[in-house]
Amino acid sequence: MTTLTSGKRVDSAEAPPRPERGRRRRRRLFTPGKVVSYLFVLLIMVMYLFPLGFLINTALKSTTEFYKDPVGLTKSFQFGNFAQAWQKGHFGAYFMNSVMYTSVAATLNTVVSLVVGFPVSRGYVRHRKLWYGIFVAMLFLPNALMTQFQLVLRLNLYDTALGYILIMASGLGVGPLLLVGYLKSVPKEMDEAAALDGIGYWRFMFTFLPPLIKPVLATIFILQAIGVWNDIILATILLPDPAKSPITLGLFAFQGTYTSQWGLLAAATMIVAAPLVVAYVFLQKFLVGGVAGSVKG
Amino acid sequence: MSEFYPFGGRAGLRSTFSLGMSFVLVFAIVPAVAVVVISFTDIRGLPYIPINWVGIENYLTFFSGAKLGYNLHALQNTLVFAFSVTIFQNLIALLIAVVLSTKLRGRTFYRAVVFMPTVLGVTVIGLIWSLIFNPSAGPGASIWSWFGANSAFFGDQHIALALVIFVQVWAGLGLAVVIFLAGIQAIPEELYECASIDGAGASKKLRHITVPLLAPSFTANVLLCIVGSLQSYQLAYVLTGPNNPATQLLSLAVFTQAFGGGTSSGSSQSQGYAAAISMVQFVIVGIISIAVLVYLRRQESKT
Repeated sequence: MTTLTSGKRVDSAEAPPRPERGRRRRRRLFTPGKVVSYLFVLLIMVMYLFPLGFLINTALKSTTEFYKDPVGLTKSFQFGNFAQAWQKGHFGAYFMNSVMYTSVAATLNTVVSLVVGFPVSRGYVRHRKLWYGIFVAMLFLPNALMTQFQLVLRLNLYDTALGYILIMASGLGVGPLLLVGYLKSVPKEMDEAAALDGIGYWRFMFTFLPPLIKPVLATIFILQAIGVWNDIILATILLPDPAKSPITLGLFAFQGTYTSQWGLLAAATMIVAAPLVVAYVFLQKFLVGGVAGSVKG
Repeated sequence: MSEFYPFGGRAGLRSTFSLGMSFVLVFAIVPAVAVVVISFTDIRGLPYIPINWVGIENYLTFFSGAKLGYNLHALQNTLVFAFSVTIFQNLIALLIAVVLSTKLRGRTFYRAVVFMPTVLGVTVIGLIWSLIFNPSAGPGASIWSWFGANSAFFGDQHIALALVIFVQVWAGLGLAVVIFLAGIQAIPEELYECASIDGAGASKKLRHITVPLLAPSFTANVLLCIVGSLQSYQLAYVLTGPNNPATQLLSLAVFTQAFGGGTSSGSSQSQGYAAAISMVQFVIVGIISIAVLVYLRRQESKT
């Protein structure tokens, strides 16, 4: 604190305005700093919301209208774009593929994170520091696309949903680390009490523990689900058959086919983004908290 | 040594733990380690073709006259991309986090909006920005025309990389903001109160309290960002395609070399050579991230 007191007392520009009594509340609301902050936030919001607004606007335009006046608000409200994109892009089938890959891979991933993270955090396995080190090192593995492809190819799982799901589920990411961090807040006496009641390891881990650590399991599941849902590279490599494409790849292919029909493309993008945005609105707090926790842990 | 184990038999522990670890071992760790091994072979994307041991030939090819120019260009792009993204993303994110940590109305909403691209994924983000920067008609073209210019945007080799950097920063900002905000919230309120009593203004509080105490978050953010962006290529792939020289990154070169970039090809490519590129990249990522980590830790202990 010495640096603060030894400097000049107060910069005149930074000094809180000393308002007359009657105007006190109003002046406090609009200090110059606040105005600058709000203007800055406004700029950032425009940077983030304008692209989405423009996407929605374009999705409601016909192609000719878009080229005549790309930036103006839509006048024709072409809701037909959505139906057309849905039909031409086969998004229904792709959507179901993505739901299947995402739910299975994220569930498997969460279960694996649990079975390897729990004993390491409790020290039930030997060399817990080493295991923990392995969990950390797994975050920094090199790009293994070729070898994962070769592995799947040699297991005869190329172009199968199973092969893709196994590879997607095996990237544990921060899962075990999050779990180890969270389990510190669950006292070990819980384990001992349960064991005294004659509950075995298996039953404890799969039926007693999960309700106690629901938030962290949900965070792991959501983080993984986002990763699987948005994957495009591994799906390109492992699932050449278009019928097995997840929705991201479907959208990418759609973009290749209808290159400059922006109304249709924007509608397709919205179809793909809508479930994500809806899920995000509900899970936002969970997700933001989980990400912040994962860095601290 | 293992700690006291309250449950009777260890069968449940052994079976689940070893099953879980072998799953990860087979599908994630072994492939990652095997990259080193196959970088010394001429393995291809088709099965039933004999694999030959070729020694360091792939590495010689990487540094050979025919390929060196291309590879150095990809390396240069990678470094420009990674450092620009890291610098812009962290500076802007720090600014946003500081502003959002003050008592603004609706700040959770602003945070949620900035974080949203994290959920949207590269395909959707790629399409949104291709739409905005589409050369024939769009907001990007309008802004350019105010200055009497027009541009092919992602097709223009002079600015394609800059635009990909811009989109990457746009997409990654939210995560950095959330990490900084968590760091700011961990700073005890009393410090600011003391500073106020001592007569410090907002800018002094920022310089003498927030920034130094945020150093650990800063290290985490910079490291995450630099490791991530040295390896990231998905946006470049989605925005400019696999074979655009202007945005050729090392990690994208690994992908195109191994799989040809198209959805159909990929059988005749030498994946051994791709693995060699991947190893060169891995070493570069390792050296840079350790150097950055050591540097930032030293700065942390100084302040």
